[in-house]
Amino acid sequence: MPEILALALTVLLVVLTAAYARRFGIGKEISLAGTRALIQVLILASIILLLFKLPIYWSALVLIAMAAIAGHTTYSRSGKLEGSLPPAIFSIASASALLLVPFFLLGIFPFEPRYVVPTGSILIGNAMNVSSLAIDRYRGEIKNRRAEVEAYLALGANPELAVSACLKQGILSSLIPSIDNMKNLGLVWIPGVMTGMLLSGADPIEAASIQIVIFAAIVAAGFIASSLLLHYSTDSFFTKAAQLREDLD
Amino acid sequence: MNVHLELKNVSKAILRKVNNTRVKIQILSNLDLQVQKGELVTVMGASGSGKTTLLRLINRLSEIDSGIILLNGKDIRDYDPMELRRKVGMVFQVPVVFKGSVRDNLAFGMRLWGDDMDLEALALEAAIPGNLLDADAGQLSVGEKQRVCIARALANRPEVLLLDEPTSSLDAVSAEKVETLLLRLGRERNLTMLWVTHEREQALRISGRILTLKDGRLEEYHA
Repeated sequence: MPEILALALTVLLVVLTAAYARRFGIGKEISLAGTRALIQVLILASIILLLFKLPIYWSALVLIAMAAIAGHTTYSRSGKLEGSLPPAIFSIASASALLLVPFFLLGIFPFEPRYVVPTGSILIGNAMNVSSLAIDRYRGEIKNRRAEVEAYLALGANPELAVSACLKQGILSSLIPSIDNMKNLGLVWIPGVMTGMLLSGADPIEAASIQIVIFAAIVAAGFIASSLLLHYSTDSFFTKAAQLREDLD
Repeated sequence: MNVHLELKNVSKAILRKVNNTRVKIQILSNLDLQVQKGELVTVMGASGSGKTTLLRLINRLSEIDSGIILLNGKDIRDYDPMELRRKVGMVFQVPVVFKGSVRDNLAFGMRLWGDDMDLEALALEAAIPGNLLDADAGQLSVGEKQRVCIARALANRPEVLLLDEPTSSLDAVSAEKVETLLLRLGRERNLTMLWVTHEREQALRISGRILTLKDGRLEEYHA
């Protein structure tokens, strides 16, 4: 029964917000986004329901598909930089997998689809956000610091050395939101996992412990994914003769 | 005759943004040039005539569309690009110093190639006062920065030095100092130098062979 009421409240809120948003000319966007979100989340719930009944490797396949979509999103954010799609998918998938495994090896969560899919998706989603921010900033830094990069190249430096300051700035900028969120954890907001666990009646200490470990994993996955992505996409900014590509602007 | 650098039939088009669309503009057309070892060649030309592009092709910061460029009789595409750029140094119009001290900047090539070098002597040679060696390079005046860039390029012990309007961003006093410095270093180190400038007076002052870049080709300059 609560689920029917929750869905009814969602529809009501979307309709009311869209009606109000019409004054600002964004009524259509709000109603479209709200409807899309509602349908997508119901489809997702159905898939998860199905996954719970299927063998665990189906969950792995779903996570791989999620990582591929996440990689494509990050690739688009890079300005569809030639050759950067495989590194984007690989970085997000490998960083998320690396941080997902300990949860099950240490027995924090039982190795079941119910735990594998949501935890994996949190890691993939955040790794994607951080990687998108990182590649966007990296590209911007290289573009704006073309003179500096070419000064390095002109002295015989290889591309990796020539863009090392841009790479550092890209990673640093992408991690600022995660670092700020971590600093303010529990002060400004109660994060999603903890909220969910508290709402479903879990012990606050248990909820807090799970939240903090997930948060640490999120930051680590983002850091690893963005470092890998920037490292492996560096070649995409250069020609084979170590020339900074001219079509970056 | 000891030809050091040779450009044969070199053509290059570049992309320029015109009204938000990229337009291909032919900037060099079947250009020929021969430079002897230790020779100083001055290239004059109006803004946008392709002077900078010409230099960028020689150290392969940009790629030629057609033709061939030979260094010591060998196609530059047969050199490792990093090794080529070590042999063919470049000084840019606007000096770019790297983060760190003047000493860090001068030692860049040394660290890169694992060479050993007397940085104090190098600084002295480039007219950089000894008390500036440990100063933050970012805080220097533009003229001082340009001298650091020249010394940094020389630390690689290049055979050829490409100079892309090296004094045009400097005030008159600094420009004169840098000009004198470059001429002295060129003589002392027997460097092959290609000096690009848009100033006719400077080209005449520098002496050496003067060429003008017009319609994508080089012509001998006659005063």
